[in-house]
Amino acid sequence: MLNARCRPSLIFSLRRHFNIQARPHVEDERWPGWQVLVGIETHAQIKSRRKLFSGASTDSTKAQANINVSVFDASFPGTLPSLNGTCVDLAIRAALALKSSVQTWSTFDRKHYFYSDLPVGYQITQRYAPFARGGFVQCDENMVNIQQIQLEQDTGKSTFDPRTRTSFIDLNRAGTGLLEIVTHPDMRSPEEAAVYVRNLQALLRAVGASDGNMELGSFRCDVNVSVNRMGDPPGVRCEIKNLNSVKFMTIAITSEVKRQIDHLTTTGTGVSQETRGFSEHSFETYTLRSKEDAPEYRYMPDPNIPPLQISQDHINCVRATLPALPDQVREKLLVHYGLPRRDVDVLMSIDNGKDVMFDGEENKKGAFAYFEELCAPGRSPKVVSNWMIHELLGQLSARKESFLECAIDANRFGELMDLVTNGLVTRTSAKLIIQQLLSETEGRKSPRAFAEELQLLALPSTAEDDGELTALCRDAIQSLPGEVAAVRKGNTNVLNKIVGKVMKESRGRVDAKKARLCLEELLRSANQ
Amino acid sequence: MHRVPRPHNTRFLSSLSSSSSSNAYNALISHAPRTEHGNGPLKGVNVAVKDNICTKDLRTTCSSRMLADFTPPFDATVVSLLREAGARVVGKANCDEFGMGSLNVHSSHGPVVNPFRPSSGSTSPPRSAGGSSGGSAAAVAAGLCDVALGTDTGGSVRLPASYCGVVGFKPSYGLLSRWGVVSFADSLDCVGVLGRSTEGVIGAFDVLNQFDLRDPTAASQELRTQASDLSQSSWDGDIKHLRIGVPQEYFPTELSHSITAPLRKVLTALKKKGATIVPVSLPRTSYALSAYYVISSAEAGSNMVRYDGVQYGHRVPPPPGSDWTKTARVFAHTRTEGFGREVKKRVLLGTYALTADAFDNYFLQAQRIRELIKADFDEVFTAPNVLRPSSSSPSQPTLTNDGQGVHVLLHPSAIRTAPLLPSASSTTSAEGEEEDLSSYVQDVLTVPASLGGLPALSVPAGVAQSGSSGQEGTGDEEDGDGWPVGVSVVGQWGCDRMVLDVGRAVEEVVREL
Repeated sequence: MLNARCRPSLIFSLRRHFNIQARPHVEDERWPGWQVLVGIETHAQIKSRRKLFSGASTDSTKAQANINVSVFDASFPGTLPSLNGTCVDLAIRAALALKSSVQTWSTFDRKHYFYSDLPVGYQITQRYAPFARGGFVQCDENMVNIQQIQLEQDTGKSTFDPRTRTSFIDLNRAGTGLLEIVTHPDMRSPEEAAVYVRNLQALLRAVGASDGNMELGSFRCDVNVSVNRMGDPPGVRCEIKNLNSVKFMTIAITSEVKRQIDHLTTTGTGVSQETRGFSEHSFETYTLRSKEDAPEYRYMPDPNIPPLQISQDHINCVRATLPALPDQVREKLLVHYGLPRRDVDVLMSIDNGKDVMFDGEENKKGAFAYFEELCAPGRSPKVVSNWMIHELLGQLSARKESFLECAIDANRFGELMDLVTNGLVTRTSAKLIIQQLLSETEGRKSPRAFAEELQLLALPSTAEDDGELTALCRDAIQSLPGEVAAVRKGNTNVLNKIVGKVMKESRGRVDAKKARLCLEELLRSANQ
Repeated sequence: MHRVPRPHNTRFLSSLSSSSSSNAYNALISHAPRTEHGNGPLKGVNVAVKDNICTKDLRTTCSSRMLADFTPPFDATVVSLLREAGARVVGKANCDEFGMGSLNVHSSHGPVVNPFRPSSGSTSPPRSAGGSSGGSAAAVAAGLCDVALGTDTGGSVRLPASYCGVVGFKPSYGLLSRWGVVSFADSLDCVGVLGRSTEGVIGAFDVLNQFDLRDPTAASQELRTQASDLSQSSWDGDIKHLRIGVPQEYFPTELSHSITAPLRKVLTALKKKGATIVPVSLPRTSYALSAYYVISSAEAGSNMVRYDGVQYGHRVPPPPGSDWTKTARVFAHTRTEGFGREVKKRVLLGTYALTADAFDNYFLQAQRIRELIKADFDEVFTAPNVLRPSSSSPSQPTLTNDGQGVHVLLHPSAIRTAPLLPSASSTTSAEGEEEDLSSYVQDVLTVPASLGGLPALSVPAGVAQSGSSGQEGTGDEEDGDGWPVGVSVVGQWGCDRMVLDVGRAVEEVVREL
């Protein structure tokens, strides 16, 4: 048993290289006659409030340096790790989203190396018995298979000032939980790699396992690239490390493929296995270290952390509260709610993946949840989606606010929609009310109370011979003689301007259609 | 009452220790300001704490230059528990650097001198207090405290207890919190208690025996209860029902003859009181020592990586012209100067054991042996091991000659009495190159219980008797030199109370001898 637990999985590294997905070759005009194999190793920061083995906060972006550091994170003698169960649950969510099989028994190991931003001198990872095995990410018509998922610690950050020759070390990030997600070499082009990364991001965000932010470093990809002539066995792979955007990743793979093909065709010797970096200036990869320089990590089972045992019951529990996955949401919006694809795309792009807060807590204000809540009392999904997309999102973006910052909860937004549907508030007034509600800093007034206060309740729609409307229209005709003359000459477009005047004077309380009818009536009668 | 050793003639000690006469044995390396005792079960009890256990008001140097000025920002859980129970921490006890050593000579504070003085009263060269918790044992023996905390990774509490003539207890692994205990080898490290009597040790142990959430290797409350229930149902406390196993492998050729005589007397006395003495075999014992050194060194190597001079502790800035190309080369200056010779040796051994080429043959092999050692123990004890459910089925003990299990094992704690301290000149020259191997052999009797995580108690069993002539200093100081001899009581995991009760019985018969 110990043997199985501790022996490095040679089988897996071989599989990684030779278990090649069978699918028809699609010739790529950039490199005809060649097959490209790409595998990706992703490090995604777990979206938990606290670190993987300590109680310190994970906030490493806003805080000043070395604020969120516990004695354990700073490797003080006498400190011991204690596994954060929330991180484990988020990792289970990730595994479920990737259809990966959570292992009921996994273990933690130490990976040793000396570096100033790794104060304890080793990273706690899962080398011998990973957290989850198998799984896949559907990428268009292809499947990218997952080899394994493991839990591990992030390092601190070090920055070097060449002028003063000083290293600065910030341990805020040190010890934050990471999910390492390793694929099989199932991608055949830079573009397929990009699709995989985007889909993986979307999945992890949807279940709240990670923010998946490449630019901010909460989601980092190392890419393995190999090339071979069609019909030949797979070539020797090179790993490109630390790519911090999908765009750069695509460029790096393209450049690396060209480099390897160039090497093979010009030198006639094989590609040598190495770890490479990517220059964002020259758009080329460069040698970081060769296989011979590969560090000796001296992996050792961590004697402080007992094996992580997860029961099937617990996995089922997590599954029961798993937020909807992007594909499920899309399917539901399209089929169940019958929304047009264009609306679905917009709704799904709103604050993509921020529906789930830290520690996997659900955020009721997420766009999909908001939409469902609005539809629940039987409102038309199409109307709801229109209101959300055209009225709410528009004003939010004008205010430079994200959907999550929206001050109008679904309840009140629904009430406002109903006021309009029932003719109590005009659509124009509704816009004004939304504006007011969004800037409301305290108090949660109902839209109706707002409408009353601002005298925006529509004029009674039943009274045909509404004295007030007629009076407003007469005033407008009187104050705009030039426009009236133009209308009478047959330039009916100018009528809109007079309608606008009425609307303005009524502060939007009148229905524009009714105002138009009334004006036409008045002008007609005056003509005769 | 138990004999409190009189202080040694201290004339020769000035060269070894420059400290005041109150610390003539170099046992305590820092002293706490006098404070009032709190209220609680340990009110009035003075405690010395081994210097690898964190105290927020006293430096915690681990006897290493690396941590010469290090004061932790927190108390270890065991220290907090003692303080809460009314005990007063009087100071920090000298030890081998980071707990690595058997003689307490590998210390930045200098060696600890054994305070014991043979009854003949003659002066003799200073002897070792044993290690690594030598300062803790010496502080108890010299009456500088009532109880001392030590740590025991492979015998570091039991061996000095045996050499200094005090009681030393290493509880089951996982019972006493390791939060705040500076790691040497995490899978083996145990906090231990030393005292002048088993009674005193029990008092402190009862306070310390608490589940601690901050120790991920702490045994759960369920396991504790389960084990103590099984322990109570296997032995009712009546010495007439006690079955004591004597493991034949614990009498190696290195064992001094003067050690076996006191042990024999204890066994005879216990038998006279109705206990059954059973010869048993733990056939894999001979592999224990090498497995222990591979595992403990591998873990030590890993735990020592953090001492790089960046976050805390000693730092040596790279001299001008140094190689800055690799972080490790920058750290090397600090580590070369900060660590002592023994620590460096074990770090190197441990580092090698974990390299990809050696991992299978050394580290994994040692882990397999560790499992076999545990299996050996499980086969002789009547109580099942609650940590190894596979073996907890009503097992038929097979390694005893009558086919029945035993409640505890009894064997010598050490292969000899306290050895002489290396002379001042050899200490400074090479810390005694030739003594190294024999000091490792010294652990042969104590490491199996460490590998098994079992409770083990060393109780004084009198002194090594000289031959019929009664002469002192016959040239062979190992033969009947009148220095203390300890016997060890080892029990099944979680049967700590049983081990302590048997220890009390041993203490009683020794007193009556």
